[in-house]
Amino acid sequence: MTDKTPTSGGLTLPSKQLMSCGDITCELLVDPIPRPAPEPIKVTIKPKLSRVVLVDHLKPNSMAILKLTQTILRERGIEVDDQILVKEDASRPMPAAMLDSLSREGGLVLCGISD
Amino acid sequence: MAYETLQDIENCMNNGWSDGLPVIPPYGSLVDEMLSAMGWQASDVIGEIPDQNIIIRAEKAAATAVMAGCKTEYGPLLKSLSLALLDPKFNISGVEVTTGGAAVLVIVSGPIVEQLGFEHGANALGANNRANATVGRFAQMMRYFCGSGGGVLVSHGTVGHPGRLSFCIAEHPTTEWEPYHTQHGLPATASAVSIMSAEGPNSCNNHYGETGASILDTIGDCMNHYGQTAWYYRSGGFVVVIPPDHMALVKAQFSREQAAQYIYAHARRQTDDLTNVGRIAKQPIPYAEVEEHSMRSPLKSIDQLSFIECGGEGGRFSAVIPRWVGSQQVVCRPIE
Repeated sequence: MTDKTPTSGGLTLPSKQLMSCGDITCELLVDPIPRPAPEPIKVTIKPKLSRVVLVDHLKPNSMAILKLTQTILRERGIEVDDQILVKEDASRPMPAAMLDSLSREGGLVLCGISD
Repeated sequence: MAYETLQDIENCMNNGWSDGLPVIPPYGSLVDEMLSAMGWQASDVIGEIPDQNIIIRAEKAAATAVMAGCKTEYGPLLKSLSLALLDPKFNISGVEVTTGGAAVLVIVSGPIVEQLGFEHGANALGANNRANATVGRFAQMMRYFCGSGGGVLVSHGTVGHPGRLSFCIAEHPTTEWEPYHTQHGLPATASAVSIMSAEGPNSCNNHYGETGASILDTIGDCMNHYGQTAWYYRSGGFVVVIPPDHMALVKAQFSREQAAQYIYAHARRQTDDLTNVGRIAKQPIPYAEVEEHSMRSPLKSIDQLSFIECGGEGGRFSAVIPRWVGSQQVVCRPIE
């Protein structure tokens, strides 16, 4: 039997409905875990454009790291937007308008960076 | 216990239906009984996490309650608790995934404490009692099962704390000040469940203080150590736990409002020291509201401080529980 107990903060889910089969009858086990439907976020692995957009989320040192990132990437000849966008609250999901706008970005979006 | 039941427990644990401890298998017949006790139908929508495209139906909460070991008589409490956990103000996914390693702190107050047999005396913050342990566990399992977006999100808690397995405190049914929930707008006669995301408790020991002020100074100093997460933006808050021996001194000198005002006024640190040690950025953002060369409170406003009366007699300890800075609101609901 494979132990699927997560070891790095992840939740591993069963691939099929769990049943209990005793001496007399089988009983359904009710799945306690809600699932997203449809998939919550579509991620494009390879950007269409060779450009980087940086998003700060106001955690300690995040802006300093992103500014350094901007400098290093430009030194390596990669186009980086001048404006570093700001997500106002690191603990909350990205506002829908911002997510919608960034989902249409052809370049690479780099966000959630801090120490 | 039939061997098949042990197999079912192993089956749950091997398929991610667990918080790391053995669970009661969520047999349909048990879940139906819990649904009835909670006053819901299986398909009732009890919450939504729009950013994860997740709708949560009542059967998920009922199954989780069974798995945590809750009794069906806890049903009305669990109904209020479920709605609180899924209130958008609580930000359940943020609590689950934060590097801050926060847990759900559940506070039960009012007549329900005695009705359901919660421990509110000895070891009140970690009682070996079924009601405390299973209700607290239920809240953490809901955080884990729902907050993780159905397995999409991964927790990034850096160190976390043991409360992520269970963290439920019950207040004394008879209190020196008004019950806990009156600090969040409910009448004193109500039974209530309140939740907030929180770090682990810090113990405050003072056996020789002879005044209420000396106890509050000790508590304030505990809120003031360099390591408190609050220093950056002060957006969390604190729950102060006062057991009877310390309360006897504090109540003789302060009302609850006066105690909060005293701590707010006195529990402060020099911003220059905080900057030098790295607890405030050298160039802080405006939201941090840093005033150079001034004394800084770990609270942005006094209403971020609340008090709960619980714990045993015969020991001169209090405790401070820092709330996680990213979930800024306490959600408090009556138990019908």
